[in-house]
Amino acid sequence: MLAKIASIANIGLETVPVTVEVDVAESGFPGFTIVGLASKAVEEARERVKTAIINSGLEFPSKKITVNLAPADLPKDGAAYDLPIAVGVLLASGQLSMDSKINLARVYFYGELSLDGMLRPTRGILLLALFAQKKRLSEIVVPFPSANEASMVTGIKKLAVKTLPQLVRHITGQKIISPLKRTSAKKLKEDLQADFDLKEVAGQELAKRALVIAAAGGHNLLMWGPPGTGKTMLARALPGILPPLTSHEALEVTRVYSVAGLISPGESLIQKRPFRSPHHGVSAAGLIGGGSNPLPGEVSLAHLGVLFLDEMPEFQRGVLESLRQPMEDGAIEIVRAKGHVRYPASFTLIAAVNPCPCGYLGHPKKECKCSERLIAKYHHRISGPIIDRIDLSVTVASVETEKLSLTDKKQSGQITSKEAKYLVLKTRQIQTKRFAAISIYTNSQMRNSEVKKYCYLTGEAENLLKIASDKFNLSARSYFRMIKVARTIADLENSRKILPLHMAEALQYKQNI
Amino acid sequence: MKKFNRIVGSKAEEYASRALIKKGYTIVKRNFSNRFGEIDIIVKDGETLVFVEVKAKTGNRFGTPEEMVSKRKLNQIRKMGEIYMEGKNLPCRIDVIAILLDPASDLLRLSHYQNVY
Repeated sequence: MLAKIASIANIGLETVPVTVEVDVAESGFPGFTIVGLASKAVEEARERVKTAIINSGLEFPSKKITVNLAPADLPKDGAAYDLPIAVGVLLASGQLSMDSKINLARVYFYGELSLDGMLRPTRGILLLALFAQKKRLSEIVVPFPSANEASMVTGIKKLAVKTLPQLVRHITGQKIISPLKRTSAKKLKEDLQADFDLKEVAGQELAKRALVIAAAGGHNLLMWGPPGTGKTMLARALPGILPPLTSHEALEVTRVYSVAGLISPGESLIQKRPFRSPHHGVSAAGLIGGGSNPLPGEVSLAHLGVLFLDEMPEFQRGVLESLRQPMEDGAIEIVRAKGHVRYPASFTLIAAVNPCPCGYLGHPKKECKCSERLIAKYHHRISGPIIDRIDLSVTVASVETEKLSLTDKKQSGQITSKEAKYLVLKTRQIQTKRFAAISIYTNSQMRNSEVKKYCYLTGEAENLLKIASDKFNLSARSYFRMIKVARTIADLENSRKILPLHMAEALQYKQNI
Repeated sequence: MKKFNRIVGSKAEEYASRALIKKGYTIVKRNFSNRFGEIDIIVKDGETLVFVEVKAKTGNRFGTPEEMVSKRKLNQIRKMGEIYMEGKNLPCRIDVIAILLDPASDLLRLSHYQNVY
């Protein structure tokens, strides 16, 4: 007998329907073959399915079983076909008779089996749910531990299954599993989930202001200064001032994390803005994504959040250069022999750089021990095109001893993370309103046409920019980036127009190193 | 244990031969072996030469006898078959007879699978 079960395959963030055809032949030497460009993980489904069925107290037919994963020319990977294959075997061997109320063509089965018949957390559930949503009256059957991923998706019936026998009782109609209800996202706790508070960093008012601008408008920021002045601390304080993801953004981010299998069991939507800080030993594939079935890399995991590169010149040059495309397009295209995938990668780059290998170039008191050549070589590691894509660069200078004093209570001027977050949130709200009609979220994501549309420069401000552009030889890209930064600064002050004051501040952060 | 398996094996081959004769096959050779391996039974089904592998098991505790026939074993029989035919291109096939015995070596089940390769 032949059984056809609907399932899906995820290629990057794209979802394609897959039909799992299971045939249990009446005659022929007993065996279990899987065809249809199955990878090793799918091949091994044989042993998992067989053992899971037996350990569930059901019978595994001692007959010739052939499984075809159609379409045959599409490579399939992952353990998610365990469940559809198991259901197919049970149906085709006549152990299960389908309840007439279930229309099998509209039910998508997806999930990894454990040897004891339990269903294990499986990645890509959210993508399955979003795919099923496009079809009418569809139903998804997924493992209980990962089912929450799909809880936000409406318009489909979602069945969270714990064990294979439980599913069997459901299909035969003995004990129906009640579908998951739509749960609204839990309110994120308001506490600041950062390692540091801004007020813990002594001095550095300029850098803090730049950090607020970067967080508010999603602009790239480079912090430049000798060791121990607070560059890393400032960056680590950033998660505490970033606004939580909006529901639209959360869905986008969760899709990427769902494919990467980084959603912990039971979790539904990711609401915390991503903050990724890869070590400088990271490979190009690790940073931009890769593998023969390409998985998202750090840039995609930092989508709509922050990618923090500490000690930026220590990264391999090729790895840094691979950031160029995603920094400009907000997406990354990964091409491999098996095909190509596109992942979103619209992130805010925060970089920390020492002025030279020893770190004390330009220090007021300490002497730099590096040779000219060494310094030139060090600076050479960050190429012009990358610098050109950085909107804000600030010097994080060494701190005077008075400011470090523990007993000194004169910290009234210091901005706290709480205050900063409030400012950032307000500015983001202005942007959300502005870009409601188009699919971007922050000023930094504007394309040139949108810059022209949304940035009203006063004549004086424009003049200022023109003078600066001539004097510092700003590239066309930098020119537009400056306007975007000025837009954010104006938004911070809730000004509709970009005034000379805002432009002047924006220009102040375009320091060339 | 090894010795015991051999006794069970030859007993099973006896059961298999009888079953094949009953089906109207003619026995050509039993235990055709050289240093590359062994074919348990060679029979003729009409014009077709049939190489038969007999697999017996006592009890189901460690799986069915069918499970114990590996791809490698079938490849070996194929190679042995080619040796037997001495390069001649005769119509032939490979069959498997799976036998389940009880502890007293009495026949519980005998399944004949045709053309398994």
